[in-house]
Amino acid sequence: MVEAKPFDTANIPGPKMAMIAKPKSVASMIKRAKRPLLIVGPDLTEEMFKRVLEFAKKDVQVVATGSTIKKFIEAGVADSVKYAVLHELTSFILDPEWPGLDGQGNYDLVLFLGTIYYHGSQMMAAIKNFAPHTRAIAIDRYYHPNAFQSFPSLWKKDEEYLEMLDEILANL
Amino acid sequence: MFELKEGIFVLDELRNVSIKIGEVIEEEEVEKAIMGPTPKPKIADLRDWDMFLLKRYKPFYAPYCDMCCLCTMGKCDLTGNKRGACGIDLAAQTGRIVAIACAIGVSAHCAHARHMMHDIEHMKGDLSEIPIDFGPEIDVVAPLTELITGIRPKTLADFKKVLDYAEEQIVQVVDAVHTGQEGSYLDYESKAFHLGMIDSLSKEVADILQICAFGFPKGEDNQPFIDVGMGTIDMNKAVVLVIGHNAPPAMNIADYLEANGLTDEVDIAGICCTANDIGRYYEKAKIAAALSRQLKVIRAGLADVIVIDEQCIRADILYHAGKLGIPVICTNDKAMHGLRDMTKEDPKDIIKYILDGAPGVAILDPLKVGEVATTIALERRKKREGEIKPILSEKEFMEYAKTCTQCGNCTFACPQGIRIGEAMEAAENGDRSLLEKRWDICIACGRCEQVCPKNIPIIDMLNFAAWERIKNEKGKIRRARGPVRDTEIREVGAPIVLGTIPGIIAPIGCGNYPNGTEEVYTIVREFASRNYIVTLTGCMAFDAALYKNEEGQGVFEEFHDRFDAGGVINIGSCVSNAHIHGAAIKVARIFAMRNIRANYEEIADYILNRVGACGVAWGAMSQKAASIATGFNRLGVPAVVGPHGSKYRRAFLGQPYRDEDWIMYDIRRGEEVRVEPAPQDLLVAAETLEEALPLMAKLCIRPADTDRGRSIKLTHYIDLSLKYLGKLPEDWHLFVRTESDLPLAKKEELLKVLEDEHGWKIDWKKKKILEGPMRGYDAGFNPTNVKRIFEQGPLPLGGE
Repeated sequence: MVEAKPFDTANIPGPKMAMIAKPKSVASMIKRAKRPLLIVGPDLTEEMFKRVLEFAKKDVQVVATGSTIKKFIEAGVADSVKYAVLHELTSFILDPEWPGLDGQGNYDLVLFLGTIYYHGSQMMAAIKNFAPHTRAIAIDRYYHPNAFQSFPSLWKKDEEYLEMLDEILANL
Repeated sequence: MFELKEGIFVLDELRNVSIKIGEVIEEEEVEKAIMGPTPKPKIADLRDWDMFLLKRYKPFYAPYCDMCCLCTMGKCDLTGNKRGACGIDLAAQTGRIVAIACAIGVSAHCAHARHMMHDIEHMKGDLSEIPIDFGPEIDVVAPLTELITGIRPKTLADFKKVLDYAEEQIVQVVDAVHTGQEGSYLDYESKAFHLGMIDSLSKEVADILQICAFGFPKGEDNQPFIDVGMGTIDMNKAVVLVIGHNAPPAMNIADYLEANGLTDEVDIAGICCTANDIGRYYEKAKIAAALSRQLKVIRAGLADVIVIDEQCIRADILYHAGKLGIPVICTNDKAMHGLRDMTKEDPKDIIKYILDGAPGVAILDPLKVGEVATTIALERRKKREGEIKPILSEKEFMEYAKTCTQCGNCTFACPQGIRIGEAMEAAENGDRSLLEKRWDICIACGRCEQVCPKNIPIIDMLNFAAWERIKNEKGKIRRARGPVRDTEIREVGAPIVLGTIPGIIAPIGCGNYPNGTEEVYTIVREFASRNYIVTLTGCMAFDAALYKNEEGQGVFEEFHDRFDAGGVINIGSCVSNAHIHGAAIKVARIFAMRNIRANYEEIADYILNRVGACGVAWGAMSQKAASIATGFNRLGVPAVVGPHGSKYRRAFLGQPYRDEDWIMYDIRRGEEVRVEPAPQDLLVAAETLEEALPLMAKLCIRPADTDRGRSIKLTHYIDLSLKYLGKLPEDWHLFVRTESDLPLAKKEELLKVLEDEHGWKIDWKKKKILEGPMRGYDAGFNPTNVKRIFEQGPLPLGGE
């Protein structure tokens, strides 16, 4: 049974909480999106980072927040990866007229992975409530109730979690 | 000669005639400066300024809760910005919650000031007999009071009418949050700004009251050092642990020790702002810890008696102290914890009541606290050993570690998501280092213990594992010095406005850090080493003092405490924050000769455009922190908070790509100019320390910087980004107006980047920028965001 329990137990925002995301449906949402964006925060393992690099190869714009950009620089892939302050970035995402990280416009699907849990949860709350033009999907190790769809809490099940990331990648 | 005073007078010669004199306005005060446009502003009087700020720094809402549960028509589901039964939508409701948080915060500071005023009258007598005199180097004694109310206080009695004004404003705004009142999120934010401003005013009153009444330092630098850290408490002595923010009871304890020759037999150690303030009064006082270690200190048993006053006290303090048999004395009617009020009883009876086994007592007269607390501490000291050991034995520690099933409940409950079970498992296998490391990241909230199915005392486990660290935690902090002197502002006003001192960094507030206390030290040392002025208050000041450089010096020992480049200054407790506002206001008054009297909008505009200051509340936790930050923001000072700060639900974030948000007036040229996004945000959360450091440097950039100043500020912004993020900032080019803005050491390299990556045209022979910047550099640029100032110029000073 999947665990739709917020990583911070008391983080119950209201009647609308994220549906559990299935890897295949996440992949199809990414494929259907005109401009998907993957936001990568600092709370990630090496194995997770390997998967992130695969996303970057699949035409998904990656933006590193917090200090994560250093990992991309070390991996020699920083050219295609942008850096942003997550709080500022999310405020831009709320603005339908934001020209985006590349000047080509805002994003219609935003994937979160590795953000500091509680901070990321707040950012997804902003998107849920004030950005009808986009949807937030949490593909993190934690259930994020403020996302539109979220993986369940898998922070004690590394292998299962990585398999789910692999399944998304395999279906892109 | 009869001297006019406030009060009611009966004239002997005239029967049935009395004259009431409400307020004596001294001629000198009237002559001092022309009264500005907004003396004692009401809710709507500074609304235009607020709306300007809110247009540029749009409220960004991240609701913590999508519902409203405040009236019986609810609960209302506001998800997706729906409207509830009263008609309010989620944006306005979130603004309303922010206003409520600010109302709670400002009430704490304002009530603190009023309480302090009553205590001083009780302890010292007539307030009108206590002058406000900060010596020859401080003429502008109460810059916030003068700026907001137009009053230049002479004695402490003058603050009565200031607090009357502040209290009225709080009540008016709290009225506006009632169901069926305000419906606009922008107006809720304007009201939150109003409360933030009142918060700053109340803090100034509270601090000046205690400085003048109790003889605290009055802005002198080279302050002596005070011990800080859990390891500095001498358990061979009797220990009184004082917790809170309102120090008169703690001062009475110090008086009692000195009067009875007991200073070598009893240690006073403090947590939170009372710790800072008692140090300003009694140099032998020790700072045990910041707020986030309150339970760690109590549960380690580092007290014979605990004396609490107000604010930031654990609601369950009796429960935890009671486990160790430590009695608690409540000294403030705001936090009585259900204890018996024995204020009117003989101290000897109170002492007997406690020593007979009562968990605690309320004593609301600070003059009675000293004798009771000291006697109880001495009596309890006789019954214990000198050296304190961990609460758990080795055997108990190992048994608990084995008991843990790694169920994960503690991690789900932990605000930091600490993997406690993993550390327990390691401890079971002989490795205690994980628990020890996590001791510092843990804020000792105690939620883990509430959910542990095996009832493991997790805080005791952490304390056990970190016992050596606790014993050796010994730092030095400067005694808090209070206000910034006018003479210091004369020296640094120009370098701050011109930008050659790259900024004022103000680490303030609570200890809800994302990753432990060492990051505070890094922030302070990094900026002080770069010649910023670092002004600290509250818990961040304590935590910064816990770490040492390679020479074994803490930041307060390594750096001077002048308000000058490279200074690290312990300004004081939370209410002393007002002196940081005050320093910025004094720059306008003393360096730029602006009239600050009842002239809030003009001075806030000046500060926003010219004074490169940035607050950082890396562990902001309380509602007070909300009102503090909001007060800084209305005055034009941005603030960075840690990642927990996004739970305040609202940030103020600019959109640098919107030209219309960054148009200013240039008074000299009489035209509008599109300026760089400086500062880009007023309130922003950083996700990690590495991100926060360059962000803070960026938020010190101002449109009025000279080219030399901008070059220095950009040097630090770029350097910090390279050092901590490994790359140039994405937006550094936005701040370049001319080639002389560029950091000297990287000029050619950066010109190349501007040409290659941003398409700017460069004359390589002359190494000049030909095309590219959004505006050129103009040494005479005289910016304002206020149309009135653009059209009419600044308010004249008047008859000085």
